Amino acid sequence: MSGVASDSRGARDMTAVATDLNPVQELVLEAAASGTPIRIAGRCHWIDAGRPVNATRVASLAVHAGIVDYVPGDLTITVRSGTTLREIENLTRAEGQWLPLDPPGSSDGTIGATIATGSFGPLAHAFGRARDLVLGVEFVTGDGRAVRGGGRVVKNVAGFDLVRLVTGSWGTLGVITEVTLRLHSVPLQPATLSLAVPGGRNALMQRLTSILAAPATPLAVEIVDASLARSIGLPERQQILILLGGNPASVAAQRDVFSRLGGAESVDNEAWSRLRTVEDTSPPIVLRISALPARLAEIWDGAHASLAGGGGAMLHSMPSLGVIRCILPSGTTHQTVERLLSATPDATVVFERLPSAMWAAFSPSVVDDRLSRGIKLAFDPSNILNPGILGPTS
Amino acid sequence: MSETALAEKLELIVGERFVLRRESDLLVYNSDGLPGYRRMPRLAVFPGSREEAVQVVRTLATYGIPYVPRGAGTGLSGGALADDVVLLGLHRLKRIISIDPENLRAVVEPGVVNLSLNRAVAPIGLLYAPDPSSEAACTIGGNVAENAGGPHCLKYGVTLNHVISITAILPDGEIVTLGNAAGETPGYDLRGAFIGSEGCFGVALDVTVRLTRKPAAIRTMLADFTSVDEAAHVTSAIIASGIVPAALEFMDGPTIRVVESSVYAAGYPADAAAVLLIEVDGNAEGVDADRDTVREICIAGGARTVKVAQNDAERTRLWQGRKKAFGAMGRMAPHLVVQDAVIPRTKLAGILARISDIAAANRVVVCNVFHAGDGNLHPNIPYNADNPDEAERVHRSMGEIMRACVDAGGSITGEHGVGLDKIGYIELIFSPDSLAAMCRLREVFDPLRRSNPGKVVPVHSCQEWRATPAGRAT
Repeated sequence: MSGVASDSRGARDMTAVATDLNPVQELVLEAAASGTPIRIAGRCHWIDAGRPVNATRVASLAVHAGIVDYVPGDLTITVRSGTTLREIENLTRAEGQWLPLDPPGSSDGTIGATIATGSFGPLAHAFGRARDLVLGVEFVTGDGRAVRGGGRVVKNVAGFDLVRLVTGSWGTLGVITEVTLRLHSVPLQPATLSLAVPGGRNALMQRLTSILAAPATPLAVEIVDASLARSIGLPERQQILILLGGNPASVAAQRDVFSRLGGAESVDNEAWSRLRTVEDTSPPIVLRISALPARLAEIWDGAHASLAGGGGAMLHSMPSLGVIRCILPSGTTHQTVERLLSATPDATVVFERLPSAMWAAFSPSVVDDRLSRGIKLAFDPSNILNPGILGPTS
Repeated sequence: MSETALAEKLELIVGERFVLRRESDLLVYNSDGLPGYRRMPRLAVFPGSREEAVQVVRTLATYGIPYVPRGAGTGLSGGALADDVVLLGLHRLKRIISIDPENLRAVVEPGVVNLSLNRAVAPIGLLYAPDPSSEAACTIGGNVAENAGGPHCLKYGVTLNHVISITAILPDGEIVTLGNAAGETPGYDLRGAFIGSEGCFGVALDVTVRLTRKPAAIRTMLADFTSVDEAAHVTSAIIASGIVPAALEFMDGPTIRVVESSVYAAGYPADAAAVLLIEVDGNAEGVDADRDTVREICIAGGARTVKVAQNDAERTRLWQGRKKAFGAMGRMAPHLVVQDAVIPRTKLAGILARISDIAAANRVVVCNVFHAGDGNLHPNIPYNADNPDEAERVHRSMGEIMRACVDAGGSITGEHGVGLDKIGYIELIFSPDSLAAMCRLREVFDPLRRSNPGKVVPVHSCQEWRATPAGRAT
């Protein structure tokens, strides 16, 4: 498997420490000097996502791992970028804390990749996305400078915001080497409810409105379609999952609020981890469609109708963010994707995975405006970091 | 371009009344919320509409003229001071363009006052979460520029977490959309880069903000202590308990006494060494349980009393003392230095003791009033700037406090911005390469550094990027 070979090559690169520069600086400077573009990877989970990266050399940061600083009382943690989400989970859980960031995939992924890709999951409903949880970042720019933005405290406006700039930039502005994250206390009494959704767009919208406006503070609200529900061990019907957490009185009261809406039942909390890992490690096509939250039911309906009979598509959605995530089965054709996009007009589409041959057709460059081009040039003047991964900068 | 020629060009756009040139007219704009600095603008211009603002920025671009954007001028870092350059006041752009309860957002012009937005959305059960103490005067545009916080940011996050997208005019006159109001933003988070850029990246023409549903129930408590140390430890204990208070504010004895002797008296016990103002919100059942837990933690940690506000009037009164504390300090002396350092929350008790030592050694009075839950300190020192000896001792104290906070792993500013006031400290926390990277980012938005020149990052840092990085392979 190319991923493994790439990993070990990356690992060799990482160990070449000979000066006072950090190993990642060494690697980047060498690449810059020889004009060799590099593909930056955590544990190579995204390598086969089909993104058009014009680089033959893979630099894995998997060995650049470990906890730099963790003082539980500060509710912050600083880790090297190759640290896995699982390691962070295990360490913080022991202190009754967690990083409420639950991107799709297993916890074997690295925090560096999670931040670089700006990945997020259902907990974004209450805790925000990656960009809302990162407090500080250290990265190596395309000309080998080790740069820091933000800091290790929970509130900080010193200097221009390099943290937000690098989060979600897919490694194109710098190789992330270290991040400081905001932690939260694990909510007491987590509980999951499933609410039935009657068929039809209007019924779904009414249901969502009553859930989101209810006097409650759920940690996650996620719509899952029937086939996804079945895949995570729930009855095969479209439903809305609600994660509650808090002190016992608060959770009991919220449970009552949602029960009064009708059709609510308790579900095993495991549903959430199954949702995270429901897709194969490499489904061929995954995309997110987003629009104003008020259009959610319309877009959901359109996406559903266009995929009907397609066999095996799974959809889930974060209604408060207006985001729908579509996991399409192997064998999905160009035409199916086209149909899906035209059934969801005026929405923003972000592909997570797509066969390489389809990227150019469906995913235009997202960094081809003047400011983005200028930023890329400023931080990676030789265009050696993940070139092309966000589309070409002309 | 001559002063007169420039003024005439701007008058053609905004009208004669809204260009100020006489020193007596400009005097009111020679400082911001931080009274220690005075800088006289070259002239001041106040566009009355988006179109006028665009024309003004483009005119300034045409002639390569530097300018400083300014909202209400309530900033506490000297960030809105125009040192012999044009001051571009945006407070007349105060239209709330739209309120969209269905999608929980509003679009506002930059001059909309924070509290005006909150008043507009309150009747429909919504609020705009960032609530700087200057909320009654400060503008959303200024809040975006500074990435403003406020007491309730402990639970709800700062401006960055509540701004969805921005339409901005860059210093060269180009109008750009940063972020996506109707979905995800693939690509670089230019919105995030712009927020907190202190007016150095351009001028916001409109801002799409996220609105939040009002919590169903709020419980506000005041716990009073006979020792600062106990109050600091209780703060850490509440945070460690897993409860996320909506706000957790700290006021020390000197602050309590100046507030209580002012028109903002809030009924704080005047003999206390410290009080904590603690608020929890959520559903009624849940907040009552949290209130009880917080009360137990306070009592166990040494609180003399824990008073719970019984109604909105009591709650407002408790908050008034906190929100107006800076103003109340005006009773003590003509000038005030305001600090904004942030420390890791476990270091609170140690830092407060250190601040007390520094104050004693320099014979100054420190009034601590701050966002304890975030570790965001505001040690303030009232003083008379006309007394050189006192001014010297005050500034020495401030430097020592700043260094102590940085040594504890903190930051030099949590919500007020670097501006002019803290530019001398920024090299304590960022390396030359990091500062140079920030300069590069700024130059993408403003290659000539004409927008708010001389703020945030020292000019010499901007030269360093061009040099070879240390140890670079050749």
